[in-house]
Amino acid sequence: MSEDLAFWLSYITNGKHLTWYASFQFTIFAALAGGMLAVIFGLAGATLKNSRFLPLRLIGTIYSSIVRGVPDVLFFLFFPLAFEQAVEWFIASQVCTPETIAAQSAAWPPCKEANWFLGTPEYLILASVSLGLVYGAFATNVIHGALRSVPKGQLEAARAYGMSASQVLWRVHIRQMWVYALPGLSNVWMLIVKATSLLSLLQIADIVLWADRLGAPNFLPAVGLVHDDWRWRYYLVLFVFYILVTLLSEKAFNAIMRRAGRGILSEAR
Amino acid sequence: MAQAAPAIADTLPVVAIRDLHKSFGALDVLKGISFSAREGEVVSLIGSSGSGKSTLLRCINMLEVPDSGVVAIDGEEIKLRGTAPHRQIADENQIRRIRSELGMVFQSFNLWAHMTILENVMEAPLVVQRRARDEVEEEALAMLAKVGIREKADSYPAQLSGGQQQRAAIARALCINPRVMLFDEPTSALDPELEVEVLRVIKVLADEGRTMVLVTHDMEFARSVSDRVIFLHQGLIEEEGPPEQVFGATRSARLKQFLNAASHT
Repeated sequence: MSEDLAFWLSYITNGKHLTWYASFQFTIFAALAGGMLAVIFGLAGATLKNSRFLPLRLIGTIYSSIVRGVPDVLFFLFFPLAFEQAVEWFIASQVCTPETIAAQSAAWPPCKEANWFLGTPEYLILASVSLGLVYGAFATNVIHGALRSVPKGQLEAARAYGMSASQVLWRVHIRQMWVYALPGLSNVWMLIVKATSLLSLLQIADIVLWADRLGAPNFLPAVGLVHDDWRWRYYLVLFVFYILVTLLSEKAFNAIMRRAGRGILSEAR
Repeated sequence: MAQAAPAIADTLPVVAIRDLHKSFGALDVLKGISFSAREGEVVSLIGSSGSGKSTLLRCINMLEVPDSGVVAIDGEEIKLRGTAPHRQIADENQIRRIRSELGMVFQSFNLWAHMTILENVMEAPLVVQRRARDEVEEEALAMLAKVGIREKADSYPAQLSGGQQQRAAIARALCINPRVMLFDEPTSALDPELEVEVLRVIKVLADEGRTMVLVTHDMEFARSVSDRVIFLHQGLIEEEGPPEQVFGATRSARLKQFLNAASHT
């Protein structure tokens, strides 16, 4: 019995498992950074959509309607690659000489000097920006609607007392917008959390990739078969993780809602 | 103390309006209105719904930009540019400075729902007039005491009755030390018993000698509080004068008809 326990203890604390546990940080980072960027892009998009100038209004509208329709997996593959190659193209235009181009055997980049190596941190940032861009389009719609729900009379009162346009926007309009936006934003947040399972598409060794590797039938020449196909057990752990994140998120959103709704929601009385 | 207060007629106009026109689409709401309010004067605007009285009041602080005509506060003309319907405020800094001296009270209170009553009253003095917090807080609490809701300072607007909310809104207007108080049907959204408490506060302010322009449906109140009453009909001034004359010796047939109808509601 104690031998069994010792086996399991050493099994779940071996190097690969520790790397798996550590990889949860990528998922959490991508979700938080992606969520923050989505709100920022959402605020920017909604402000553009509300702009008095037609070109700006058009940019906001096009952003929210086009990007919402593109599958997130596709955008996830497209944006980081396009960004990386655009940077490489720019570097190439600066550093490549005819000689170095001639010496390059691969098809891309044009010369070896223009190669931009991306490690996990860089990919993680690109992944967060992708998440922010895709779900910022949803947040744009949510925030745009929420801005229209703030009672007009209160904005008028702010203007009547001499507040500048930006004071009205930040001190009254956006401050009150959250109450109407939060239910929609919590949906967007849950979508972002779910989309973090796509990180492995960007060569990030994330929790899904490791669960896949660790769960696959494990054969060591010295020991023989350690275990056969255990993937469902590992996926189950991910299930539990995502459910915990969901429960925590709900608690967090309720707390934020109470804070943002003070004085506005009747429950806050 | 022997010095007598200057007679109203001798002092400079605080609000001066000349030949104001305003239309919404095809609807001409104001068709050339001129009037002024002098220091310490209480001017009431009366008239049936759609007569343009609220629009006229909202033109004083440019919540509505008139199509043509001039609005001047303390002799300073508010700068506008463009032609109707694209006429707009020309100088943001000027209008903000002028607005910060005009205390507007709305029919639907329009207190900021996410701030406590005290924060509502302190907001404009702090962020627009940029006065010191200690001084503003002391004054805000004094104003709340004056309108009788000092104990509600830390409540949110939604926790107050309509009458209390409107008194808070009056305190908010007072705390900017306004040159003019603008009242836009301040009691129309209130039940009769709550109306009384708000009217009592406004009466106190009128008796203090504050300059006020008041849009009201309450003829009794207009008679008791005003130095001058202006009757608007279809976008024009139909009759104006001291309340005794306007209500007691009515000349215009339309005003007679209006007063008759008003006394039967």
